[in-house]
Amino acid sequence: MIDVIRLMLALFFALFMALPVTAPARAGGDAAGGEARFKDCAACHKLEPGINNVGPSLHAIFTRKAGELADFRYSPAMKRSGIVWTAETLDKFLSDPQGMVPGNRMPYAGMASADDRANLITYLQNATK
Amino acid sequence: MTTKLGEVDVVIVGLGWTGGILAKELTEAGLKVVALERGAPRSSENDYSLPNIRDELRYVVRHDLMQNTARDTITVRNNPKQEALPMRRLGSFLPGEVVGGSGVHWSGHTWRWTDMEFKIRSNYEERYGRKFIPDDMTIQDWGITYAELEPYYDKFEYTAAVSGKAGNIAGQILAGGNPFEAPRVRDYPLPPLTPILASEMFTNAARNAGYHPFPRPSANASQPYTNPDGAQFGGCQYCGYCQRFGCEANAKGSPHMTVIPIAMRNPNFELRTHSWVTKVLKDSDGKRVTGVTYTNVLNGEEFEQPATIVLLCAYAINNVHLMLLSGIGTPYDPVDQKGVVGKNYCYQTGASATLFFEGKYFNPFMNAGGSNATIDDFNINWTFDRAPHNFVGGYNVSGGFNTPLPIGYRPVPSGTPQWGSEWKRATAKWYQTAMVINASGSVMANRHNCFDLDPTYRNAFGQPLMRMTFDYQSNEHRMGVHAAGVVNEIAKSMNPTKLNPATARTEPWTVVPYQSTHNTGGTIMGTNPRDSVLNKYLQSWDCHNLFVVGANAFPHNSSYNPTGPVGALAYWTADAIKNRYVKNPGPLVQA
Repeated sequence: MIDVIRLMLALFFALFMALPVTAPARAGGDAAGGEARFKDCAACHKLEPGINNVGPSLHAIFTRKAGELADFRYSPAMKRSGIVWTAETLDKFLSDPQGMVPGNRMPYAGMASADDRANLITYLQNATK
Repeated sequence: MTTKLGEVDVVIVGLGWTGGILAKELTEAGLKVVALERGAPRSSENDYSLPNIRDELRYVVRHDLMQNTARDTITVRNNPKQEALPMRRLGSFLPGEVVGGSGVHWSGHTWRWTDMEFKIRSNYEERYGRKFIPDDMTIQDWGITYAELEPYYDKFEYTAAVSGKAGNIAGQILAGGNPFEAPRVRDYPLPPLTPILASEMFTNAARNAGYHPFPRPSANASQPYTNPDGAQFGGCQYCGYCQRFGCEANAKGSPHMTVIPIAMRNPNFELRTHSWVTKVLKDSDGKRVTGVTYTNVLNGEEFEQPATIVLLCAYAINNVHLMLLSGIGTPYDPVDQKGVVGKNYCYQTGASATLFFEGKYFNPFMNAGGSNATIDDFNINWTFDRAPHNFVGGYNVSGGFNTPLPIGYRPVPSGTPQWGSEWKRATAKWYQTAMVINASGSVMANRHNCFDLDPTYRNAFGQPLMRMTFDYQSNEHRMGVHAAGVVNEIAKSMNPTKLNPATARTEPWTVVPYQSTHNTGGTIMGTNPRDSVLNKYLQSWDCHNLFVVGANAFPHNSSYNPTGPVGALAYWTADAIKNRYVKNPGPLVQA
């Protein structure tokens, strides 16, 4: 029963997270914690340049515009999004990928915890250089 | 004209779970391996991602990942008095036909079959006496034990990212797991999937009725996971498109994202897709096989691929078909019960109830392939006395969902018109409010249920189609009555607003609608060549350099999904070939 309540809460939050109300990304997350959270991404995304699997390589992501790599088949939604990847935009995207870019191809429901996202972004800021 | 190619160490026919496991293991052991897959090359990156997926028309109606019946199918009859006719459209079962085979579109349910199956005849004769087993029930011991297979079950579970809860670690019964399971050395690699409302309601009802519910073990990664070979899994997203689809989140344990890419990176391995094997070739004295012939289905070119070892790793039915087409072993004759190839074809049975709860929202579009809770109280629980009910075998009962398709799944209370405005109102009203309780039952071998070559119909290569003769017997009918009783008892205890009760299946088996892709037997394993085609290492008794790997080796079918022992036996066979056969080629068991 507890899990049912948890599920309902998750649904409730998922609905409201879709509204354009996002907390600013927290600076200075914990990179070690972020490396652990990167497991959520690693089945599809590589950090090395030029290796596109199910998802595009994340190398140098903080210098890129969304949908920019020539050899990855992005969704039209992602190409049109106009997003420039920064700590803030990535935080918003990871909190609810379909909410921010409806119709994008990434099959990931989102990372609910702001702390987890902050840690992950801190990790990526170094690991994608 | 057939082009003869250079000899390789191993040729593998079919590249799904078994072919993939053997390809990886044998290339790592230094053998030169060629795999021939008749389907197309497919990958997660290019094929199992948007916009190519979540498409019911493509995958469910048009069977995009399945065998193409316009090229090859089977003919079907219920008994020898009937004329078998070709199954021109897939229905009851769905053999995969792509790189990855049926391991791409399975749900991931992964069970450990136990000595209750492997010693079935001994167990029943010892407890109930010889006469309890009907004369025409051709069940037999498998010649292998659970203890022998345990490390290989473990290896497969860790390869495929099985999520579950152990019920018995080294003899210690653990709360929340399956208390009837055979002892395992360690827990599953991943914790159980997040339960859904339907599985929680079933769990509570089953527990209140005195049964022992547990989360169904499934190769749907409950969290991100890296397997011992380094293959990376994402966590399951509960997207609802599992069975019949490739996984877009890389969360379903499948050969195309685990063992096959590892083999592909090895220079000892070569994969040829669109390559249709038509025959296994024997040498002049019939004691060895020398390779296979195959056709490139894209351009019609024919090749002979000589090999020191031949591994048949196609879908179970197609492995048996190749053995019959190649004239290896003596075909089974149900009249005089001589011969073994084609013997003991088995299927599965079941009974299911649909429960409607006004005011509940089950969100059936949101679940994993294994979002079920299950009870084994009438399955591998040997304290359940079969004598009063007079059947051999058992059934498991589960509550929850397994890919209720957003378009195809339309539960309505019985009595609702099948079309028109009333049906539309009903489907809108009840879609969110329905859940299913399902019993999946074993099917025992019977002397009349078998495969042979069809005398009339031929495939695109001019070869006789496989003929399947199958029907449920009174043993299965009696078990179905018991199973329907248990399903309905649990269902009624949950006080649904409306109930479509389970009924025992008594009508003859037909090829429609979809029932289960758990076809077993035909080239069965055993302790001697009089009763079986393969020894316990799945090695042919007739030709020692031929191994036939898959559910075709099962002497009967249990109520469980078959992929657990299929994967475990592939690893077991790989070890036997690597560690014993290659060093000293010959029969691994003396006849």
